[in-house]
Amino acid sequence: MKNPGTAVNLVGGVFILAAALTAQTPSYKLLHYPALPELKLPHIESFTLPNGMQLYLLENHELPLVRGVALVRTGNLFDPPEKVGLATITGEVLRTGGTKSKTGDQLDEQLENLAASVETNIGESYGTASFSALKENTDEVLGVFKEVLTHPEFRQEKIDLSKDQIRSGISRRNDDPGGIAAREFASLLYGKDTPYGWNIEYATVDRIQRADLIDFYDRYFFPANIMLAATGDFSAPELRAKLEKLFADWTVRKPKVPPFPPVRKEAEPGVFLVTKTDVTQTTFRLGHLGSTLDDKDYPALQVMADILGSGFQSRLMQTVRTKLGYAYEISANWGANFDHPGLFEIGGSTKSANTVDAIKVSEQELEKMRTSEVTPDELETAKQAVMNSFVFNFDTPVKTLNRLLLYKYFDYPDDFLFRYQKAVAAVTRADVLRVAKERVNPKVLTVLAVGNPKDFGKPLSALGMPVKELDISIPEPKKETSQASAETLAAGKLLLQKVQEASGGAGKLAAIKDVSQHQQMQVAPTGGGLKADQWNRWIAPGTFRQDAKYPFGNVAVYFNGKSGWIVTPQGGGDLPPAQQKQVEGELFRLYIPLLLSDRNPDRKVNLAGDGVLEISDSSGNSVRITIDPKTGLPAKEEYQTLQSQGPPTATTQEFTAFHTVNGVQLPAKIAILQNGKPFAEVTVADAAINAGLKPEELSKKP
Amino acid sequence: MKRFSIILALCPLLANAQNLKEFERKVTEFTLPNGLHFTVCERHEAPVISFHTYVNAGAVDDPEGKTGLAHMFEHMAFKGTPTIGTKNWALEKKALEEVERAYDVLEAARNEERNKPDADRTRIPQLEAALKAAIEKASSYVEPNLYPRIIEESGGVGLNAGTAEDSTEYFYNLPENKMELWFLLESARFLHPVFRDFYKERDVVREERRMRTESDPQGKLMETFQATAIMAHPYRRPPVGWASDIENLRMGDAEAFFNKYYVPGNINIAIVGDVKPAEVRRLAEKYFGPIAKKPLPSPVVTVEPPQDGPKMAQVESPSQPIEFIGYKRPDQHDKDDAVFDVISGILSSGRTGLLYRELVRDQKLALAAGADAAFPGTKYPGLFLFYLVPSLGKTLPENEKAFYGVIDRLRKDPIDAQTLARVKTKTRANLIRQLDSNSGLARLLTSAYANYGDWRKIFTDLEDVEKVTAQDVQRVANQYFTDKSRTSGFLFQGAQK
Repeated sequence: MKNPGTAVNLVGGVFILAAALTAQTPSYKLLHYPALPELKLPHIESFTLPNGMQLYLLENHELPLVRGVALVRTGNLFDPPEKVGLATITGEVLRTGGTKSKTGDQLDEQLENLAASVETNIGESYGTASFSALKENTDEVLGVFKEVLTHPEFRQEKIDLSKDQIRSGISRRNDDPGGIAAREFASLLYGKDTPYGWNIEYATVDRIQRADLIDFYDRYFFPANIMLAATGDFSAPELRAKLEKLFADWTVRKPKVPPFPPVRKEAEPGVFLVTKTDVTQTTFRLGHLGSTLDDKDYPALQVMADILGSGFQSRLMQTVRTKLGYAYEISANWGANFDHPGLFEIGGSTKSANTVDAIKVSEQELEKMRTSEVTPDELETAKQAVMNSFVFNFDTPVKTLNRLLLYKYFDYPDDFLFRYQKAVAAVTRADVLRVAKERVNPKVLTVLAVGNPKDFGKPLSALGMPVKELDISIPEPKKETSQASAETLAAGKLLLQKVQEASGGAGKLAAIKDVSQHQQMQVAPTGGGLKADQWNRWIAPGTFRQDAKYPFGNVAVYFNGKSGWIVTPQGGGDLPPAQQKQVEGELFRLYIPLLLSDRNPDRKVNLAGDGVLEISDSSGNSVRITIDPKTGLPAKEEYQTLQSQGPPTATTQEFTAFHTVNGVQLPAKIAILQNGKPFAEVTVADAAINAGLKPEELSKKP
Repeated sequence: MKRFSIILALCPLLANAQNLKEFERKVTEFTLPNGLHFTVCERHEAPVISFHTYVNAGAVDDPEGKTGLAHMFEHMAFKGTPTIGTKNWALEKKALEEVERAYDVLEAARNEERNKPDADRTRIPQLEAALKAAIEKASSYVEPNLYPRIIEESGGVGLNAGTAEDSTEYFYNLPENKMELWFLLESARFLHPVFRDFYKERDVVREERRMRTESDPQGKLMETFQATAIMAHPYRRPPVGWASDIENLRMGDAEAFFNKYYVPGNINIAIVGDVKPAEVRRLAEKYFGPIAKKPLPSPVVTVEPPQDGPKMAQVESPSQPIEFIGYKRPDQHDKDDAVFDVISGILSSGRTGLLYRELVRDQKLALAAGADAAFPGTKYPGLFLFYLVPSLGKTLPENEKAFYGVIDRLRKDPIDAQTLARVKTKTRANLIRQLDSNSGLARLLTSAYANYGDWRKIFTDLEDVEKVTAQDVQRVANQYFTDKSRTSGFLFQGAQK
């Protein structure tokens, strides 16, 4: 025992006091623990009703409550690719859309008057319908529950509300960096075009109709496809009789539900970046596919992941958080599901400047797991945590009942958890090293960083792999394109040719090989009020460059139809995908080629209304042009641009002050409106046609 | 002690009064001579125990210029003791003192530099390096995270802590055979706190702020909104602290905070689960008895002056719009406290809440709209808070208009009897549902004791709610939901390059 008297006390009395008192507290190592009583598993009664529905009942009389959940074999994995979101909306409107006899609003009132609830939901690989009631209202609430499950009405107004809410959710999905990381990482690992990795989009929601919901419901909601579990203050025989009577008239039969689609994904290793400028921290993930829960190596893999990154004592927590102070959140998890591989992932967040270092340290810690055995201590801690906390898997009847239900649903043995516990107890250090070597593959690691790369300090490429920037701008719904028929297409072509005539003649337009234009842009005060000079140069058919002088510095953008670059005061590089898409839109709408769209076989020119042309191409670009009936010249064009956050912006350009350049009529003033509000005024200072521009002049960086 | 039969009479509508009566029979309480209070609830359904320690001090008690300190101490409470988490306490202690000495020298030099700009430019970087070296030296004696590790490997689950404006709370669950371990560890961290790895943990906390506030648009808005709505009272400050305050916190600050606020009379503990009350008492006396009695700290003296006009905060962000609207309200001891709870229930509970009905369901203006009866705390006067989240294509002004329409009706017309009855029924049922979990109950017991001096407040609250009339609702809405005492704050998409 140290002598407290020798300590130099500079900090304050507490240290000496603490040292003196230390002797009074026995070491935690000296504590003896009595054995836990043997687990008493509650008795769950199970029955199959004549209609095929399975029942699981567990009495619990502590509180005057009755609760239940029906598990339905369905899931959003069954969404049709063009209607992603169907299961989600069906699961919601099943309850909110009301029953044959009552609207959803009436149910809300009836249930909340009783402080009860009936809710439905369809997730990835199962659907649920649940209820909760004070004991004395059990019968009334069960009545509602049954009607919702068996006679839903899917009223249109609630379908509209649900679709509206989902669209609003989509528009907000890029606001939170953690949400972006989770979503994009899953999309990368499972594949964006598979049910495990795709997202609900405006377009897929828009296609979903009431008939789709009814079909989806009809396919999956039938008694033999449902397991109903209830727990609470009831007598099991009584409740069984009650439920049997209640559901006696529900006798629909359907073919067995097919298995879920398998996960099929070729590993796509690499470093991926999502640029988000309004953050001070980078949210990162690294990993690859995990396994299923019944994988023979799962217990060892879980122990491995626990030692690496679960809890305060884990290696990542100790290194990245405690020793380096790089992160508040850092963890590793071997993801496993009942029926398909989960994600093995390391995730955390760190200040922008530490991005590369934090990811590197995480990779090093991972590598250590693969190259040397964990210490006996680490193994013991990980095992002890599993063993000693085992009892918490059974500490409420609801947990025990829900777990049993899931095991039955996924066809796992009832005692799966006990087998797992046994397997964990048998895991050796050699096992941990073996599974880390065999199952963790640094060569196919996917790394994702969501953050502000201009603050990274070191570029992500320092991780030693090519960096691919992900475009997460939210795809706009398929625009309502006007009805096109042979007639309207012919009429559109005719009108466009009249515009060509009014602009100086098709021959003159077609003879244009290049255009140079200097313009001044004044942004409206609500948009920030900045002023800029811009020099645009275009060489037919598709090489474009803009040099602009802004108050914050010069920006140059170049694009040749395939690739391009950007140079800003912060530096430069390849055109990021989001911006490239923007520039492609600009190219599509370039004034001269646009007027000659009838000569471009990739473009459709349609008469969309009186004096309104709609021009579109096969890449999904489209623009509406309104022709001034007096001059025959374009008066305005309207189009949509994608935003990295929120819904697309509707942009309108109004053309005025036409003047003649080389015999061609060009607008000298362009008013730009965004979502109907003035955004900027552009004034053309001078313009030249066929000045003999060379492609190599345009591609040369400033 | 009050008799529980009184409480029973007060909730006549409860489904099964018998259950609550049984519930009170399970609860015992005692106060140690040093002032530390324990509430124990026996529940033998499963061999597990929930522990909840409630310190009646939080971010509101952070000294000026040292915001984030209560939260910083909360992090230090996981660092161990002189015997847990060190390889050699004697050497570590010296090294920790060395860190403070190095920091003092650095601070002194920085202060001099401020007055003498032409001083030696190499001196500060050298002193910074010296500080860093001292920190690393002290760190070399640490067995990192041993304290939480012992808990986790002993089967502890749900291990965590939280710092709010009003309180700091520590909680986890153990299998019942490990009860004594909790007594040992919990008493040790408050008997012999150590401040090891303080400056590394400060970096971690700084990252926590980056995550929760700086990189989250809602977090940014909340911080600005709070600081705008509240002028003088410490409720105006973020619990995690201002960035610059966090970056300058010192070990001695945390120690002083601990000495002042972590006194036994300011702490109360609830233990719920498979326990024998007599055994709890024996262990409490053994382990927590040695903590010295100390005077209770003074409450915050600053009183928020009356607000004389509406206030507004705007936060520029590329994110989709959100708005907070707050009205000044009195603290939890006000006679109208239950009326505010009822109003919150009327406006924002389930799918029958008026804000959901009006803004989400009928007018389709909002993705979500709701209320929080007391923000950011309840101990001192604060705000009745509303939030509006517009749907795609709908604007904040459209949402505001509908929102103020709902508030106006609340002021003009008495609420109908059915709605009022529904809110009261739901309040009671919600309580029963909360009682279901050991940890939820433990939290309720400690907070009722800390704020009202009696855990029974959990139930007597129902009585107060029961008494609220439609006239009360109308009167309080008129008295408090006024333009003058309103603050609104919202995200707006400003100029973007």
